[in-house]
This record gives sequence, structure tokens and C-alpha cells, in this order.
Amino acid sequence: MDTRTQVASKMLVLDDAGTYVNSLKAFCEECALLGIRPNVAGNGDVMAVLRANVDLGGILLYENYGGRPGNGLVMAREIHALRPELPIFLRRDAVSSVAGLGERDAAMFRCAYTLATLQQLRESLDASIFSRIYPNALVRGIAEITRASLESLFHGCEVDAETPYLVKDRIIYGEVFTLIAIESHWCRGYMMLQSSEGSVLDLLRGRPGGGDGLTFRDLNGTLGEATNLIWGAFKNRYVGHGTAASAPLQTQVPIVINHQRRYISFGSDDPQLCLKYTLRLRQSPDGPGVPVYQRFVFNLDWSPDEFSENPTVESFVESGELELF
Amino acid sequence: MAQVLVVDDSSTVRNEVCDFLKNNGLAVTAAVDGNDGLAKLKADPAIKLVLSDVNMPNMDGLTMVEKIRGDLKNAAVNVIMLTTENSPAMKERGKAAGIKGWIVKPFNGAAVIATLKKLVA
Repeated sequence: MDTRTQVASKMLVLDDAGTYVNSLKAFCEECALLGIRPNVAGNGDVMAVLRANVDLGGILLYENYGGRPGNGLVMAREIHALRPELPIFLRRDAVSSVAGLGERDAAMFRCAYTLATLQQLRESLDASIFSRIYPNALVRGIAEITRASLESLFHGCEVDAETPYLVKDRIIYGEVFTLIAIESHWCRGYMMLQSSEGSVLDLLRGRPGGGDGLTFRDLNGTLGEATNLIWGAFKNRYVGHGTAASAPLQTQVPIVINHQRRYISFGSDDPQLCLKYTLRLRQSPDGPGVPVYQRFVFNLDWSPDEFSENPTVESFVESGELELF
Repeated sequence: MAQVLVVDDSSTVRNEVCDFLKNNGLAVTAAVDGNDGLAKLKADPAIKLVLSDVNMPNMDGLTMVEKIRGDLKNAAVNVIMLTTENSPAMKERGKAAGIKGWIVKPFNGAAVIATLKKLVA
């Protein structure tokens, strides 16, 4: 994967502060962002722009967009419902943080910034605009199939997906993680699920039909099967049947795991695509959320130009039915 | 004496499917891979239906079906694959081996229980 050449990313700019226009324009140029604005500041028009531009990298949103106090938050909720994979960067007047927002509202934003803290925005942009490397359609699809897989295994739980982002660290989150190879004609690498043993076990025990008899083996089995379901759905959706790579002829590199330091290296510095899901028992929606981190690293091959979705394969949500021969 | 043999290397899936079938009045036994599945089937002639995963260690599900029809010479038992796989080539291989059907995971018992009961009748 070659990320040395920075690709311009299309950003939807929902910021109508007149005095800010020129500095915003200069900032976008510096960061290789191609800013687009809707003609009218109405919420309906913004949604139309979102539907028409499937290749957006993210959204710069002003908290009082359209001259209405708090309108930015209202819009963010609508945008997040329509395009949950898009990172939203919130410009605020007073504080460069999400202070004062509820937990779920705060989770919609990759960062909050003010005109005085543009460096903070720049750092967040670098980590968040995954579309420079990973196609939007792929990331959206991954989030869909993963949520469906987790919901099918963690009965009685609601699964929220936060906005995906890029990471370059090699740190393993929690005590348990799964690893599976992803092989296709356009990508080769690995997918990981990482989580904390205690909190997932508590979640499994708290479900209807759970109970204290469940052990770490049940947790291992559930996360393992979640990995298997996601892997299968990924293959069915994105790997052309009959064109899968011939594994025995292909290169491999050593994977280094350091348990002491919770560290895993795939032998490259490629930015990993990271998605965070939060699982909550439906019976206690205000209870603590259990995070599950999903990471993709395509360290062996990455040819996004050849990425395509299988048109003929039934979608994941139609699975589970019996096809008789 | 079981009516249904569930073959899957995932204990989560084995438990879920077995519990569902038992709760619907079927007698069930389970195996952890293709080798184990062949042994269980050989030992229990009452088994009428095999529900099997495809990707398993030691022996995969499609190889197991080919051995059921070939080595065990058992043409009577119905086999349904329950798998994340959805490739036409794999389905063709399964059809050639004489499988009865294919279910893409996750398992939705309510959608298939009526058919499964007919296959063990």
C-alpha cells in the first residue's frame, strides 16, 4: 500500500460564517481538501447533496449553521443517520471540545475545534479521512455486515457503529482479539476484532438466557464466530467468485506479537482502517457500552482501483434462508 | 438415537443450533469437524439429517459429504450445509456430492424448521 502521494478529499462544508470563508479556503488547500457547499443552507438541501455525493471524505459543520443556534447538532443527527460512515468535524464558537454534548451526540463527531485550534482539526483530519485510502462503499459495507453479524450473535444487544478512522499504532485493545486472513484479487491482509474479556463476558451473562455459568470459552466462541460471519459476508460481497488469490503461490510476512506490550506488527506502516462498535443490552440502554474494535490491515496487497461489489450475490440480510436443491 | 447431526467447529453455532432443534422436538447430536461427523453418522443409523458447516479444521464439510456418499455408501441421509460461504462453485460441488440444500449463516431457525422437520420424517 503506497500512501506517499496525498489524494485530495472532497469535504462538504456546512459553515456559513462570512468572516471565516477565506481562512477556511486556505486551510482546505493546505490539507488537500476539496470543499463543496450546498447552494442553500436548508437541511433538506444538505441531505440532497449527501445523497448525490457518495464520494465525500467528511463534513465540516458549524454548530450554529444556517444562523440558527444549535442547528449544527440537529443536522449532525440527520447526517449521521443517513451516512454514518462519514466523519463530522464540529466547529464551535467557545470551546474546542465536545463538552456539554450528550454521550451519543458527542460520539457523532471526530473532533470539535474553534478558529483558534485549527491544528487540532488538521491532526484529526489526517486520522479520520479514510476515503483517501479506503473506498467509502467498502467502509460502509464493512460496517453494515459487522453490525448485522454482531447483532445476530449478541442477542438482545443493540450495536452502534462510530465513524471509522485510520490508525498507525500497533497496540492491541483489551485482552482478547481474533485474527483472520482476508484474501481477494484486490486486497490481501487481515481483519482483527479486539475487546475486553470482562466487559464482553458481563454482556453475555446479562442477556436473556445468559447466566453466570458462561466462561471465557463462551466469549472466545462468540467472538470467533462473529469473525467468521464477517469474513464470510465480506467474501460473498466483495471477493469475485473464481478470482480469489491462489494462496500457496503468494508472499507472506511474519506477524510479530509482543504480549508484554500488547503489540502486533504486520511488518508495514500502512494506516489501518479502524471501526469501533459499542454493544449495549436493549433491556438497559443506559448501561455501560461494551466496545469492540475492528481493524483491517491490507499489508500484503492493496489495489483499490480493482475493488468492486459482487452484483449477483444475495445480500447479508437475506441470509439464513434455506436454498433447496 | 438422534435424528439430526449438527457438524460445526464453532461451539457457539453448535450450541445455538442444537438448542433450537431440541426445543423444537428433535433429537440431536453434534460433531466438531468432518472426521467427527463421519464417525458419529456411522455410529448412529437413526440420523436422518446432517446440518454441516463447510470451513472446518481436519476435514471440511464438503469432503465429509463426499465421504458419506462414497466411503460410507450412505445415499439416504439428507445433508444441508450451514455456512458463511455463498460461492456458486462450492454449491455446485455440494450438489454434485448430493447435498439437499444450503443455508448462508447466520442461522435463522424459525425460517427453516418446517422444512427440517419434513426431512427427518
